[in-house]
Amino acid sequence: MLLGPNGCGKSTLLKILAGLLSPDDGFLHVERPRSFVYQNPDHQVVMPTVEADVAFGLGKLNLTPDEIRTRVAKALDAVGMYEYLKKPVHTLSGGQKQRVATAGALAEACKVLLLDELTTFLDETDQIGVIKAMRNSINTSKGITALWVTHRLEELEFADGAVYMEDGKIVRQGDAISIRKFIEDKLASYVNQITL
Amino acid sequence: MYANFPLHNYPTLTPTLSSIHGFKHQSSPNLRTTKTLYLHLQPTKKSRTIISCAANSSDSVKGAVNWPELLEKWSPKKFVGADKLFRAISGATSSPIAQYIPSPFTFVHSVDPRIKLAWLFTLVILPAKSNAIMRLSLVAYLAILSILVQPAQVWKDQLGRVTLLSGILFIMLGLSTDSAPSLVSSRAPPPSLMGLPPFPTSLEGYKYVILKLGPLQLTRKGLSAATTSACLTFTIFQSASVYLSTTTPEQIAFALRWFISPLANLGVPVAEVILTLLLSLRFINLVFDEVRNVALGIVSRRINWPQMTFLETIDVFFTYIRRIFRNIFVHAEQISQAMIVRGFRGDSTTHKIFLSADSSSGVANYISLSCLFGLIALVTLPKYLIQ
Repeated sequence: MLLGPNGCGKSTLLKILAGLLSPDDGFLHVERPRSFVYQNPDHQVVMPTVEADVAFGLGKLNLTPDEIRTRVAKALDAVGMYEYLKKPVHTLSGGQKQRVATAGALAEACKVLLLDELTTFLDETDQIGVIKAMRNSINTSKGITALWVTHRLEELEFADGAVYMEDGKIVRQGDAISIRKFIEDKLASYVNQITL
Repeated sequence: MYANFPLHNYPTLTPTLSSIHGFKHQSSPNLRTTKTLYLHLQPTKKSRTIISCAANSSDSVKGAVNWPELLEKWSPKKFVGADKLFRAISGATSSPIAQYIPSPFTFVHSVDPRIKLAWLFTLVILPAKSNAIMRLSLVAYLAILSILVQPAQVWKDQLGRVTLLSGILFIMLGLSTDSAPSLVSSRAPPPSLMGLPPFPTSLEGYKYVILKLGPLQLTRKGLSAATTSACLTFTIFQSASVYLSTTTPEQIAFALRWFISPLANLGVPVAEVILTLLLSLRFINLVFDEVRNVALGIVSRRINWPQMTFLETIDVFFTYIRRIFRNIFVHAEQISQAMIVRGFRGDSTTHKIFLSADSSSGVANYISLSCLFGLIALVTLPKYLIQ
């Protein structure tokens, strides 16, 4: 997981890793294929129904209709949305749209998943649902690395590791528990400064 | 010392405007009226002269028109309707008009989208080619079909609006087609002047003028024009509504692609047309959402509409529309970026769109096709048989 205050460069870094922005300097290596999931699901979901949207990313792979159908079914099943296969996107809630967007990324069988604040617009139930769906799909698939940008410390519970950024630089990286403690200490010192 | 005199009348007695520190010209540059500027010179305790300028509107030049004032004078004073309008928009249902309704799953849902599209074309063309009884039968058939396949709140709303529109068209066309007196009169003298008996009345009770309402009259020609246009309007709107509410966007695109794919040989960009159709169908919801959300944003500001002038109210409306367009363009930009991220490189022919249309049932297709051919035969065959 990638954490940090607003404007520290988390989303910019993610967009550079996705190939949407070019870095001014430096070198980066990202395994392909890679997928990017936006913060706002309405920006990610391109097609009007669930099935067609999840299949959209497969259009470049020259697969047979049966292969596409199988992949779509697997991806939707991984995020717990298979029964919504034929549903129009506009009838879904924000959390369901976010799961569909995630399924679209999973269906591409990508090696790197870049996830930009997936839970920002979601309520608590949908937030947990999306995190668990993502964690479950990563556990069941082999060789997937997911980089998850978030502001919510409670989401660290589902992370294998974490990185903290400030002013465009990585300040600290390590396991989820140590990063959580580091952020909570920072928060406490900030609160002390204000109260003094 | 106190002086009060027009500047332009006594230019030599006053300092030049540029030499006065802090001088502000209070007359709006937008106003075209020529106003007399007065210079007030007042002594203070420190014997410093404070100069202030004010425009005296009473001295406006005769004949010059103050358009903003005039507009305010003649415009509605209390624009409370704006509040109601924004509240109505923000409170509108989130389900867009004429969108696919997955449940209840009916017989029409299970028909192949290509057959449904053929039905749609037929129902659009047939009213123009058939007689009045057939047209009315088609209207009745569509109304019954809508009631059977659409949820009550949808068909009540939809049928009500389309019936109202068709009814207005029927009345306007029926009464106005022959009501205007013809400026061209026949050069032939009337039968009475030629010593001929007048035209006998029809034994079958034929009357060209069916109904007279003062200066307005309903004639057979008017009735024919009115039924044709009203029925055509009804069938176009209602058949499209039934088709859209029982067919997913992918099925629509699949059916359209099937019909227009031969045109690809003539250079028609079929793949682009289909992708554009799908994106448009996806975008309709976003536009509805934006219209509602921005209206909600304005309502939540609790604007005191009665205190606002007409121009200020108009300004809010323009801001509203500008905001909607800006948000829609942001959506468009983000979606295009998402398409790039998901592997679309701008070539619709290489990036295949998966269109699933496997929900049709063989029995439903057979019955539907049979009915379609039966209807076409019923409308077209009598003409050939009579000939």
